[in-house]
Amino acid sequence: MLGKITYHKPINMVVFVNIIAYAFLIFKDKPYQWHALLMYCVVVTMICTVYCVIIKKKLGEGYLFLIVSMLLSIGIMMIYRLNPDRGYKQVVWSLIGIFVFFTSYYLYQKSNKWHKYTYFYIAISVILYLITFVFGTTINGARNWIVIGSYSFQPSELNKIIFIFFLACYFKNPDKLFIQKFHYDENVKIIVNRVLLMFVTYINIGFLVFQREWGITALFLLIYLVVLYVYGKGKYFFVINLALILPVAIIGYKFFYHIRVRVETWIDPWSDILGKGYQITQSLFAIGSGGFFGTGLGMGKPYLIPEVSTDFIFSAICEEMGILTGAAIVLLYMLLFYRGIKIVLSIRSKFERIVALGITVMIGIQTFIIIGGVIKLIPLTGITLPFVSYGGSSLVTNFITLGILQAISNCDFSSEGEFNG
Amino acid sequence: MAHALNQKGNGIFGGGVKVFEIILLLVKVLFALVIYLFIFGIVRLIYLDIKSMNISKVNINKGFPYLKLVNKREYLHFKVEETYILSKNITIGRYDKNDIVIKDSFISGIHAQITKGDSKIYLKDLGSKNGTFINGKKLEEGEQKLLKDGDKMKIGQLEFLFVEGSELV
Amino acid sequence: MDENKKIIRVLIIMCTMFFVIVGYLTYIQIFRSKKLMSNVYNRRNYEIEERTIRGEIFDRKGVLLAHSEKKGSLYERVYPYGALYSHVIGYNSRIYGKSLLESTYNNHLLRTDRYSQVFGMVDRWSDREKYGNSIYITLDHQLQNLGGDLLKDKKGAIVAIDPKTGEVLALVSKPDFDSNVSWLEDNWRSMIESQESPFLPRATQGLYVPGSVFKVVITAGAIENGLDEQTFEDNGIIVVDGKEIRNSGGKVYGHIDIKRALAVSSNVVYSTLGIQLGSERLKELAGRFGLGKDIPFDIPTNRSVFSYDIMDQNDMAAVAIGQGKIMVTPLQMGMIVAGIANGGNVMAPSLVKSIISPDDKNIETMKPQILYNIMEKDVAESIKDMMKEAVQNGTGRNAAIEGVSVAGKTGTAENELSVKQKNKEHAWFIGFAPVEDPKIAVAVVVEYGGFGGEIAAPIARRIMKEYLEKSKE
Repeated sequence: MLGKITYHKPINMVVFVNIIAYAFLIFKDKPYQWHALLMYCVVVTMICTVYCVIIKKKLGEGYLFLIVSMLLSIGIMMIYRLNPDRGYKQVVWSLIGIFVFFTSYYLYQKSNKWHKYTYFYIAISVILYLITFVFGTTINGARNWIVIGSYSFQPSELNKIIFIFFLACYFKNPDKLFIQKFHYDENVKIIVNRVLLMFVTYINIGFLVFQREWGITALFLLIYLVVLYVYGKGKYFFVINLALILPVAIIGYKFFYHIRVRVETWIDPWSDILGKGYQITQSLFAIGSGGFFGTGLGMGKPYLIPEVSTDFIFSAICEEMGILTGAAIVLLYMLLFYRGIKIVLSIRSKFERIVALGITVMIGIQTFIIIGGVIKLIPLTGITLPFVSYGGSSLVTNFITLGILQAISNCDFSSEGEFNG
Repeated sequence: MAHALNQKGNGIFGGGVKVFEIILLLVKVLFALVIYLFIFGIVRLIYLDIKSMNISKVNINKGFPYLKLVNKREYLHFKVEETYILSKNITIGRYDKNDIVIKDSFISGIHAQITKGDSKIYLKDLGSKNGTFINGKKLEEGEQKLLKDGDKMKIGQLEFLFVEGSELV
Repeated sequence: MDENKKIIRVLIIMCTMFFVIVGYLTYIQIFRSKKLMSNVYNRRNYEIEERTIRGEIFDRKGVLLAHSEKKGSLYERVYPYGALYSHVIGYNSRIYGKSLLESTYNNHLLRTDRYSQVFGMVDRWSDREKYGNSIYITLDHQLQNLGGDLLKDKKGAIVAIDPKTGEVLALVSKPDFDSNVSWLEDNWRSMIESQESPFLPRATQGLYVPGSVFKVVITAGAIENGLDEQTFEDNGIIVVDGKEIRNSGGKVYGHIDIKRALAVSSNVVYSTLGIQLGSERLKELAGRFGLGKDIPFDIPTNRSVFSYDIMDQNDMAAVAIGQGKIMVTPLQMGMIVAGIANGGNVMAPSLVKSIISPDDKNIETMKPQILYNIMEKDVAESIKDMMKEAVQNGTGRNAAIEGVSVAGKTGTAENELSVKQKNKEHAWFIGFAPVEDPKIAVAVVVEYGGFGGEIAAPIARRIMKEYLEKSKE
């Protein structure tokens, strides 16, 4: 009986978590904050509706959205607690995100020519970088924001998807993307292809370094390496790429003050606690003071951490909802990652496989980079926690990727591969 | 000791805070518990999904013939599937290089082979130690035998039922 | 398929990374959170503190030693006796953090217990002020005050212990500093840079060459090994491996036994004893008497050191007269002499007598505990007798109290300054009284003070006398 309303229907648990959280937020202070109830209604209605649509219309995988809805709820409640205005905005962005989710789902299913737009992808990403370069505004030391009116937008977020599509184009038939019409020796062609692949990748990375987007730089590099590892032909090419990381890292460390500072504060943040080590130590204080069950939503002091609603939201969650909830969030991402890989394994079309792998790996690595960063496991780089952090462009991008993943999971892409029992 | 006296008034209030704190703790525990229930629920669903996928595979691949396990799986201490689909030539044995790997100590490294030839399925013993049986009759080494729908194949501790798919009819 | 295998590998690596995160989080919570919580820069603490009136600290008889007062909207720690308890209670500053008892007993003083921290039950709800627990320490304010006056501008330390319970009755370290926040925050930098190191709690962390007071330890070894039966020929000088060791003041004592040798502090006799005991027994003795061991105490302590691996005859002779590569804290010497007074059992030293909650409930009371045994009872009795002789007819005459039998031993420890200058030795005295029923054991050290019998013994005498008179009332 209890099982039927609890773990048999995980969506009930999402609702239940929201009930507890908003109860905290409503009764936290006198006078009671009744507008939190409104938030609760909006969030729960939004999630349940989307979930029902996915199930009823048979839009493939139900788990992806289920896991994301839990993450999204936790994110919204935390942001709302930190800053109600941002909470409202986040809900609006979630609604836009869900719209984009369905849009990208249908768009992706409509066309089956996604693997043919290679040059288009390259062009778009370069244009996006140039736009950022020309019209960009510097926020927090990173020149990566386009501000239009009161909305700001981060083109590099979109570039992540484009880059994954480009990689899928390339590895669909490894080393046979460029200059196929020319009559060169096959080996020359392969080498030229590989050089061009690396060129495009490093152009991306170069732009990102220029924008001081260290987190996303690392993300691009890792996605590239993973896809190369799985789909690249020839071991040496992968090894060469892997080996290239070292000099790049050393050069970065030598020449970029920012990188040096990050590594130094990672090794010892305590020596300059009021300066460079401030963010990370505040984050650790928050995590350390939460205990296993947290202080209770609205009862901690997560606002002492700078940038708490974007990069450091995980620390805030740990403080107010406890380490156990923090660990649960990590497990949720792990499940999401697992489902993503499961989708990758279940489809046959190579292009879709690579896209799905790229997206899954992107979400996984991004999570690792930011959570590892705020708990001082790895050097801290500013990047958002997918589906949880505050921020329109990151949320929308994440929903686009989710839509694509959903579309891939529901498509019959098995025609290309051969079947073997 | 004057300080201690004027604080006594707070005793009752202090008690109220304790009760409140315990309620708060319970709610927080509940909150974490619900998230873990959620994770458990998803893991359970995924598990059920994978389990049903193995069965539905048979439905999807209706065309192919397959082997169905007769033994109860719970009593076996090694991994074995409920069904094995025979869509191509396969070998059965304990070694990992086989198509169907069964870690039963009564099964030889490369135990038997199933071949598909012009819409017929043949079973061949590849020199196993404990033998391969069809309907209780032992196959000679190298002997190839045609499998018919409903044949019972015994190999090691396991017994399989051979089911002809529609493909062969 | 090769490709699928690689994908599974990616899955496994990623899952491992996630598990590492979970593991690291758990590690932070279990092993680091206490430190993170109490970090000076963790502003959460002060927010809790702002609504908590930090508990008061009293001496053993209820004299108020530390309390919190509202200054503006914030509470500030007030120490009515300024510098007197700076090396016992420590300080509590918003900028520089907490030290000593204020740090060790922070959770009690703020009444936040461990369990509620783990479960996050820290009361952040009400705006009402909460009261912390009060602490009664074992020090006797009158004795401490007297100790402070006696040392005054000298550098050094006084440790007084109740030998039967291990309660520390006085713990004076000089130089000290005013631990009131306003003074502390104004003078921090100059204090840090001062050559006198006023921040060093000398009584518990200062390391000194023990000199002749270490002879009581050697005496124990001599008695245990039957070396006390012999008589010695003291010519005022002994040559060990070509190196001369002389008696203090070049005195010649002639035909003497060990009792007399301890009373007059004969370097010749003890050097001989040291060589007779040999390196293994000396090492064993040092270890047994607590050198090189941590002292479990309510505030941080330093380990006394005995840093010999291989000892030649010169080293043995040097150790036997308390010179060479041995260093002790005054607290360690106090514990040794208290152990002798207590028949060989050293009680665990304690500084906190009881913790009282705001509603007057007793939360914790210190119970006396034997820390370790340093000698058999009969050995202790013999040494007591010898130390009594030292006060009656030996170097410790200045410690004698009329009507009370006092046991003691002086020390005049050579150091880097005394080699060049006269009267720059560390002056030591350890002793206890009354001999028949010891109520107080004292260790006094005065840095670069000169002769132990002249400088340290009178201080110890005043302390013991004061305490015994008070306890008679």
